[in-house]
Amino acid sequence: MGALDYIWMGILAVLQGPEFFSILGVGVSVTIVMVALGFLLGVAVGATPGLGGPIAMAISLPILVSIFGFTPDALLPVMGFLIGIMKGATIGGAVPAILFNTPGTPDAYLTTLDGYPMTENGEARKALRVAHFSSVTGDTFSDVVLIVCAPFLALLVESYLDLPEKAALLILSLSFIAAAVGGSPAKGLISTGLGLLAAYIGTGEDFYPRLTGGSEALQSGLPLVSVILGALIIGSVIYEMTTYWRERGRAERAQRQQKRQGQGLSFALIRKLLPYIGRSAVAGTIIGALPGIGSTLAATIGYALGRARYAKTKHPDDPEFGQGAPEGVASTEAANSSVSGANLIPVLSLGIPGNAAAVFLILAAESIGGFTPGPSVFKFTTDQVNPELVIAFGLFTCMFLANFLNWTVGGVIMRSMGVMTRIPKQILLPCVLMLTLTAIYVQETAMAAVWITLAFGVMGYLMRVFGISPLPFMVAFILGGRLEETLRQAFSATGSDPWFLLNNPIAAAFMGLAALTVIIALRQDRRSSFSERKA
Amino acid sequence: MKSLLKTFATASVVALAATATVAQDWTPPGPIKMMVAFRAGGGADTHARLIAEELEKRHGWQIIPEEVAGRGGLNMAIALKDAPADGTVIGMAVSTVFTYVMEASPSAGLSLDDYTPLATTAAFQMGVVADASRGWKTIDDAFSAAQDGEQLSFGVAGPQLADMAYLLGEANGVDFNIVSLRGGRAVLDAITAGDVDMGFVAGIQGKGVAAGDLVNLASAISEPLDQSPDAPLLLDRGLEFPSNGRFIFAAPAGIPDEARQAISDAIIAVVSDPETEAGALVDRAFGGPATASGVELDAFMQDDLVSSRALLEAASQ
Repeated sequence: MGALDYIWMGILAVLQGPEFFSILGVGVSVTIVMVALGFLLGVAVGATPGLGGPIAMAISLPILVSIFGFTPDALLPVMGFLIGIMKGATIGGAVPAILFNTPGTPDAYLTTLDGYPMTENGEARKALRVAHFSSVTGDTFSDVVLIVCAPFLALLVESYLDLPEKAALLILSLSFIAAAVGGSPAKGLISTGLGLLAAYIGTGEDFYPRLTGGSEALQSGLPLVSVILGALIIGSVIYEMTTYWRERGRAERAQRQQKRQGQGLSFALIRKLLPYIGRSAVAGTIIGALPGIGSTLAATIGYALGRARYAKTKHPDDPEFGQGAPEGVASTEAANSSVSGANLIPVLSLGIPGNAAAVFLILAAESIGGFTPGPSVFKFTTDQVNPELVIAFGLFTCMFLANFLNWTVGGVIMRSMGVMTRIPKQILLPCVLMLTLTAIYVQETAMAAVWITLAFGVMGYLMRVFGISPLPFMVAFILGGRLEETLRQAFSATGSDPWFLLNNPIAAAFMGLAALTVIIALRQDRRSSFSERKA
Repeated sequence: MKSLLKTFATASVVALAATATVAQDWTPPGPIKMMVAFRAGGGADTHARLIAEELEKRHGWQIIPEEVAGRGGLNMAIALKDAPADGTVIGMAVSTVFTYVMEASPSAGLSLDDYTPLATTAAFQMGVVADASRGWKTIDDAFSAAQDGEQLSFGVAGPQLADMAYLLGEANGVDFNIVSLRGGRAVLDAITAGDVDMGFVAGIQGKGVAAGDLVNLASAISEPLDQSPDAPLLLDRGLEFPSNGRFIFAAPAGIPDEARQAISDAIIAVVSDPETEAGALVDRAFGGPATASGVELDAFMQDDLVSSRALLEAASQ
């Protein structure tokens, strides 16, 4: 069993999985169908302001798990569907930004800067084509990097890191996410702390249930889906509803005339865009590989890189950056799309999720079982098949399947999704709320799970009101159990040495970096609030 | 008159048939909930689900497996205790949940008397396993490495095995760093990754040992391991307590006798039949079925309870 055999088995696992239907005697596997359906749903939710990839992934996960069950056969169809959503939502997000100047996600905001002026100039279709092309190119590049790097990084981690280093690495990731995500490191740390607190309810190694206050519903810990879906979806639904309530009737939309000609992507334009796409894709991929930073910073950096190059090379009669330059759309979209593939590098090689989409892939793996993202996945055992490695290559195959769909039909689907932006929020949001609660009840079959979801929904709402990002909370909640276990194990493996995190060089370096990221973020935060006050 | 006799005869035949079916062909009053004390997807969970599928196929019972993992099986035991005792709720765990774990956690307020054991399905080929690259052949090589001053870490899944590792070290003058991991798979992964030097693994080491990547340093059960018959018994190395846990199905106390017998017999018939998927899994992963039910099982559990109390007593000194 060499590496090539594993790759081939992964591809076959997707293509020859359980048959869904057959065309002319050729069976179409259920995984392919699920990737395609997920992709369609992803484009649609990406194009709907107020929804987005993570919300769609969150709602579909419990439903999919109850359809496909808890067998290893369920892994590829379910995770394929989630990957489809992830990929589809990336291109869908540009639609409302370009057509209606309403960015659905923070990173799509930068797309509006050049995309909406293009629409105003009657070049909406061209802007969408540029966005699609750049997005897919960036995404594909990032996937290639993922496939090359993840196994390599995993092997490196497994051979050099012992228990104390692994514990220190988890602490580093958490402090990095706390410092990098959201407005300020203090808010990030609060979010992380809350996540750890929630993770420690009812868990642990002792036989008595800790932190449950005697409640039987909490004895086996908080249900994963309730906490995550509550904080993420219910919180944002309540927030969106209150915002809608305040801003009712203000938005109005104008219909634009479309130019008849010059809406296609010429080779000359593609050649002009490629340097921008290339830079943004590299920047986005590097940022994506660091857990927790995510696509907003990538989009910002991609946009800044694009603007610098544009200032040097532009023709005098080209539009300014920010006033309808296709290069602006390309820089932003390539950067934020190239985050998604690279974001799975820490997930697959270390089991550490870096963004909300990765959180749901881990959640899927955990609820179904039989696949534990982390270093043990990439064991190229030769005498017997390592099923987890086959699944990993199956997932890569799903990603390329989604990319293929994206290249071929993605553009057409994307351009037809303008209609999604007309769904009124007062209808959409209650539907999302009901779907979420139903999905949770379906998976947990206990009313306690619904109450817990609502409680965390209120928490998620308050976090948004105070400008605290729920992402560090979710990541800390998922990693909390592992952090405690690894710390306990490292402590006992070193013969109960209290300095186990500091007295070997790699672990000490990780701990130093963990402290440093928070200190640097705090200083930057203080400097920016100082200059704001001055201004 | 004739017709009256006829009716009477028919009625008595029906009544007789009905009594006969009570013993032989008990049917559950509704769907059976099977609470599994293991995380979904692992070998133990698969074993329970395969048995459930086969029972549905053979008897037409409807069985709904549900994961109630956590706290070493106590979460499942708590849920099972207050469930209706009519055969509609059964649980699957390791037998030591009802003995060692309950004795070790008096605050949970549970005891073996709260349950009716139904049937055991498989025992474990529990060995002390190390990576072959260490160059150790038996547990004695590890002892001498430790006596030469090397700090050795010992991976265990659960407090009972931790107690055993501690007592083993004590009997041989070695102070192991005992690392508690979640499940046997995690112990095996930690051994392969070099995170621990050795550990208790209950059967899944088979493939690795056959391939020469892993070594069974010793047998932790009361007889030699099928795969490594030359590995010494820990019983001969000063550890008085063998690891004799089994997979067990149990019901709440007070379940009717005919229900107990019908469910026990059905489960044992499934795992003893290598033609079934469940039976094949038990053969492959656990070295064949180890079944017990009724009086024999009651005696097994009582013995284990006595032995668990002794282990706790010894380890706390």
